[in-house]
Amino acid sequence: MSSIATTRIQRELKDIKESNNQSIKIELKSDEFNNLRGEIVGPSGTPYQDGMYKLSIKIPETYPFNPPIVSFDTRIWHPNISSVTGAICLDILKDQWAAALTLRTVLLSLQALLSAAEPDDPQDAVVAKQYKDNQKAFVKTARFWAQYYANAPGPRDTDCVEKLRKASEMGFYKDISLQALSTHSWDLENAIQYLTSC
Amino acid sequence: MDNDRSHDNLKEQDYLKDMPNHEFDEAVNTMQSSIQDEIAASTDLLGDKLDISMLKNEYSADDVQYQKKIQNLEKRYSHVRKTRGDGNCFFRAFGFGYLEHMLSDKKDYPIFQENASNSFQKLMDLKYPSFTVEDFFENFISVVNSVKEGVSHTELLNTFREEGMSNYFVVYLRLITSCQLQSDSDFYQNFIDGGKTLVEFCKTEVEPMYLESDHIHIIALTSALGACVRVAYMDRGGDDLSFHDFPEDSQPTLHLLYRPGHYDVLYPR
Repeated sequence: MSSIATTRIQRELKDIKESNNQSIKIELKSDEFNNLRGEIVGPSGTPYQDGMYKLSIKIPETYPFNPPIVSFDTRIWHPNISSVTGAICLDILKDQWAAALTLRTVLLSLQALLSAAEPDDPQDAVVAKQYKDNQKAFVKTARFWAQYYANAPGPRDTDCVEKLRKASEMGFYKDISLQALSTHSWDLENAIQYLTSC
Repeated sequence: MDNDRSHDNLKEQDYLKDMPNHEFDEAVNTMQSSIQDEIAASTDLLGDKLDISMLKNEYSADDVQYQKKIQNLEKRYSHVRKTRGDGNCFFRAFGFGYLEHMLSDKKDYPIFQENASNSFQKLMDLKYPSFTVEDFFENFISVVNSVKEGVSHTELLNTFREEGMSNYFVVYLRLITSCQLQSDSDFYQNFIDGGKTLVEFCKTEVEPMYLESDHIHIIALTSALGACVRVAYMDRGGDDLSFHDFPEDSQPTLHLLYRPGHYDVLYPR
């Protein structure tokens, strides 16, 4: 890895430690400076509130002149994040990256993205459609995913728990059942039909 | 060979057409970075000083319009130094060309150095993060100071040819440009179309690397550093070259050649 990138990452890690912001975290995965692990807390007032989201951060050889490659390891239901792969659609991770930005600004921007989705520039078309057409189902799903995958606290929606139990009792994997139920806005019949057809 | 390439591009476009949004984005990114790699492999960040007449070889002999313009260029300029076409060419040409000139002619150095030194505080006043900006500034100012401290021409050239150092310098010139635009926003806002605010313009068109420069970038950068630049425009418009001085009516220190989408350094006779 180039010395510029390494030095810069070392300084950034130090800066994050000193900034003492409890809601974001970045650490090395191993001794390699090109592979980092991030964590953000879901912002309050959103369905993601108090969820713990793990991020994978890869630093290109040409950092900071090119952006870091960031994706969600923890699964999340959000219009600008793929519910399957965790890939993120965010301008500063693409053509609007500038070398004066940092990993810290990226994580803060991701928190801001969780607070304010941009459904017209989606990464996950299914989620974005639900967000626009059926806001109630979207909030319910996003909240349930936050509890299910990101350990967000609070009582789980009994309708979701029940339907997920039914689908998995029929022999489908839980993750796949949850994906199908979420995609079909918790219409059990449609979700089962979809699961049996694949 | 050019025909082969445009044929390939067509095929790729067809292939991109039916993709879902995010896959499309990723495919475009991959394509862009492979184009960037191809450019990087074929040209230096900064080339050697070449005889101006070699420009003739870049156009066909029966391209009367360009051949005539090159003849006129030859009357005024003896050499050209090419830059890599990576979107940073204006900043790299400006950075190297200006410092190179001041190696032999120190007249413009004090004002340039003073403006360069003051730029950091101006960025801090605009609430830029000191943490990253400081790093770029320190590298930038050490290169600027090296000119006074008697750096050799070869050393300066090597600095600008070394990808990391060279890009550090470009990043900071972009920041100076952005800072100047924002400090005099009432004036510059008039030049911005598309309903962007000046801050949005800076974030999307000035600060990111690899984005090409327009008139407005040149006006802002030259006025921020008190620099005088003449640009010779060689494009498909008109029968002859046109020239533009930044700022107007100044005595240019640095001469640049503009061809659509690209800047190189020119050396007057």
